[in-house]
Amino acid sequence: MQFQDYYQTLGVARDATQDDIKRAYRKLARKFHPDVSKEADAEVRFKALGEAYAVLKDPEKRAAYDQMGSEWKTGQDFRPPPGWDAGFEFSGSGFETAGSGEYSDFFEALFGRAGAGRGTHAKGRDRHAKVVIDLADAYRGAQRSIVMQVPQRNAQGRVQLHERTLDVAIPRGVRAGQHLRLAGQGEPGAGGGAAGDLYLEIDFAEHPLFRADGADVFLDLPLAPWEAALGAAVDVPTPTGTVRLTIPPGSEAGKRLRLKGRGIPAATVGDLYAVLTIVLPPAARESERQAYQAFARAFDFDPRARLKG
Amino acid sequence: MTSSRMTLLVGVVVEEDVGLSLSELARASGADESQLVEWVLEGVLDPSGGAPADWRFGGASLRRAHLARRLSEDLEINPPGVALALDLIDEIDSLRSHLRRRGAG
Repeated sequence: MQFQDYYQTLGVARDATQDDIKRAYRKLARKFHPDVSKEADAEVRFKALGEAYAVLKDPEKRAAYDQMGSEWKTGQDFRPPPGWDAGFEFSGSGFETAGSGEYSDFFEALFGRAGAGRGTHAKGRDRHAKVVIDLADAYRGAQRSIVMQVPQRNAQGRVQLHERTLDVAIPRGVRAGQHLRLAGQGEPGAGGGAAGDLYLEIDFAEHPLFRADGADVFLDLPLAPWEAALGAAVDVPTPTGTVRLTIPPGSEAGKRLRLKGRGIPAATVGDLYAVLTIVLPPAARESERQAYQAFARAFDFDPRARLKG
Repeated sequence: MTSSRMTLLVGVVVEEDVGLSLSELARASGADESQLVEWVLEGVLDPSGGAPADWRFGGASLRRAHLARRLSEDLEINPPGVALALDLIDEIDSLRSHLRRRGAG
């Protein structure tokens, strides 16, 4: 397993005070909290911060950790020395915020697994996971396999990770941010208690053309200036196939043309919007330059009329 | 590591098919019922029904309660702070939604 340098994770010196540690954690936790951070690796960084803080904020665990010495570097291959924790007794499990499997192997080898040994008869905890689907899946419905790592006790009473694959039906009409509840697929209950539920949060994979907002779907539709000015009939891709769309004469950039009912088929069916953009052809060849010059002569047009006092 | 596979599971979309009671929302979000009551008083969550026993949480409540729980635990934020953070997150969400609707332009 790999050594974790918790001081480095929090960016504090080994002799930092408890207050320094708390301050460093709070600051970094706000920066990397996955619910508010836009950093690409926020989830991973935040977990590492939580683990480092769980050890360093607790004077007993910190002392035990410090005993390992300061020569170790993050990522170095590590095996705890036999009897390393003699003389330390960790009070309680103490990891109230941790779900199972949230901490590294390194942490669990040193401090044990969080959350073991709950009440005698209790319903298992609910679990949460995210599932990324394509926009097209929301139109048709789909089937997804989800691999979950579930801690289980084996015959010797040791906790081992068990890999469970769930085949889940993704219902048609589902939208990003919605949750699918799978009854009884959460953590097992204790002492005959029922299992918890599994909640899957739906997210859409980025699509090069379409973006969804609720049940509505948006697409940028580029037009040539003459198509926008004179009107045209153009082919527009939609998640359910190409349709022919009539562009009215005098269409301006930013205008939205609605294709009613071609959004996500939710309970309230969404619409598809083509957001018009106007693309200028380059004036590269002589004939093209002449066309632009003829254009200029034909119009009495001042694009900057509004800038004049 | 051992592994297993199940037959096809069909779930319900919480936001459309289910109204969660206080205790169901507590289990699903990992928050205590007393925390949820505090958040309702702060306006973070807006259930239908009069007394807590009759409350039904719909729509976005699960995501909000989950967010509120994580923010208050991970960042040790008190209920007014959670309410403020969620208001700001709502505002960011609506700005993002506005951007998505506008397009590249």
